[in-house]
Amino acid sequence: MNSTTFKRFLTTNLNVNENEVVAILDNCTTKTVKKDTFLLRKDERCKHTFFVEKGLLRQYSIDTKGKEHVIAFAPENWFVTDRESSYFNEPSVYYIQTLEDSEVVLMDENFIQLLSKKVPSFTDFNTRLLHNHIRHLQKRVNWLLSASAEERYLQFVEMYPDILLRVPQTMVASYLGITPESLSRVRKALAQKNFKK
Amino acid sequence: MKTRTVELVARPREPHFVGDGFRVHNFIPSGFRLEMERMNPFIMMDYNSKFHFSATDNPRGVDVHPHRGFETVTIAYKGKVAHHDSSGGGGVIGEGDVQWMTAAIGVLHKEYHEEEWAKTGGDFQMVQLWVNLPKKDKMSTPKYQAIKKEDLSRYELSDNSGEVEVIAGEYKGVKGAATTFTRINMLNARLKKGGKADFSFPKNYNTVVLVIEGSITVNGNDNVPTDHLVLMANDGENFTVEASEDALVLVLSGEPLNEPIAAHGPFVMNTKEELMKAFQDFNNGKFGYLEN
Repeated sequence: MNSTTFKRFLTTNLNVNENEVVAILDNCTTKTVKKDTFLLRKDERCKHTFFVEKGLLRQYSIDTKGKEHVIAFAPENWFVTDRESSYFNEPSVYYIQTLEDSEVVLMDENFIQLLSKKVPSFTDFNTRLLHNHIRHLQKRVNWLLSASAEERYLQFVEMYPDILLRVPQTMVASYLGITPESLSRVRKALAQKNFKK
Repeated sequence: MKTRTVELVARPREPHFVGDGFRVHNFIPSGFRLEMERMNPFIMMDYNSKFHFSATDNPRGVDVHPHRGFETVTIAYKGKVAHHDSSGGGGVIGEGDVQWMTAAIGVLHKEYHEEEWAKTGGDFQMVQLWVNLPKKDKMSTPKYQAIKKEDLSRYELSDNSGEVEVIAGEYKGVKGAATTFTRINMLNARLKKGGKADFSFPKNYNTVVLVIEGSITVNGNDNVPTDHLVLMANDGENFTVEASEDALVLVLSGEPLNEPIAAHGPFVMNTKEELMKAFQDFNNGKFGYLEN
């Protein structure tokens, strides 16, 4: 299996060496998936946590009027999963889809258990990841409720520096909870302030 | 002076669309042994082999996107492209024309099939190259060189066997119109069947030959069909191209830049930090603004 990024991610963050990582990785699979492939659909049970080796994924929902709402983008080095479904075993309300040709590591619950047993430092690390995820979601709820379009945009580009160049503007607007027109206005205003011919 | 031999002949990869207006085969940097480091200063080559676009009132093309750290060179063999940038610049690249855009510190632009051309549609065939800039020039001021077909200088080959059009650099004393930051030769050789042209470039120059039309033989023994790319080895100076049938070939040869490359998306810099800065500047509007 050729999951170089994931290998590097594990050796950097856990107290394990390359050989141990190789043994661990035998227990999960890496998939090469074409652009626009669904890794999860609404009403399915989410069985995996996805780690993005290469490419780009998005998690989104579709409301009763048929409008899409982007919950998260997951570029290289990011994890994405539906925790409501994978941990609480509820049917998913989300879709997870590739936006580019991607390479994705699929981790199931057994793999997480195995990792916890074999690598003692993993539990602490996983807790930290979880807290980090909660912090991220909490911040996101807060700015969706209180921040201006420009503030949302600036936080977005800080977190996802290259996404603006990889997805249609409508998806970015959807993630920010603003209209595409509003996103254009924000970007135009920033250019007027910062662009020197 | 030694013979420069053929290192490999690359067949065109599966085409993909850039936007909806360019159906390209990428040769550099995704081709086998055609990585940026090997091909420097030619760090990207997309080749739109001859493709028929149907008539439309909504010109196809590529939406707004930025560039930093290099030059883009568009050679239009068939079809017409219009472009606009965030500084208010723009123009049309017609059949036989070359546009040499120095993006340097940053250009935000869009490229579309020219409106009137799109209305009738037709055959479209172009090469787009990214030419790397030396570290000292990566953050210089952007500029355009719009070179019209009639302004390209030509060298007539003997026995009425064809001509070599010089875009940049020189061929047998004939100099090209484009100015470059490093030593680059960019030539279109139009050869009649049996016509032969010889080329000589310093051994260390990275060199390729793209067959736009017809088929050729390199150094008398390597046959290369249409739409294939020849990578020449850096083992000598001289090589010959002979047309097995009427042919048009693009010859590129450039002095390598021995500087580190950090590339991601539309930015090619020397360090990761400079790349991050490019994304930040783009996100913060420092490349300007342009409507799609």
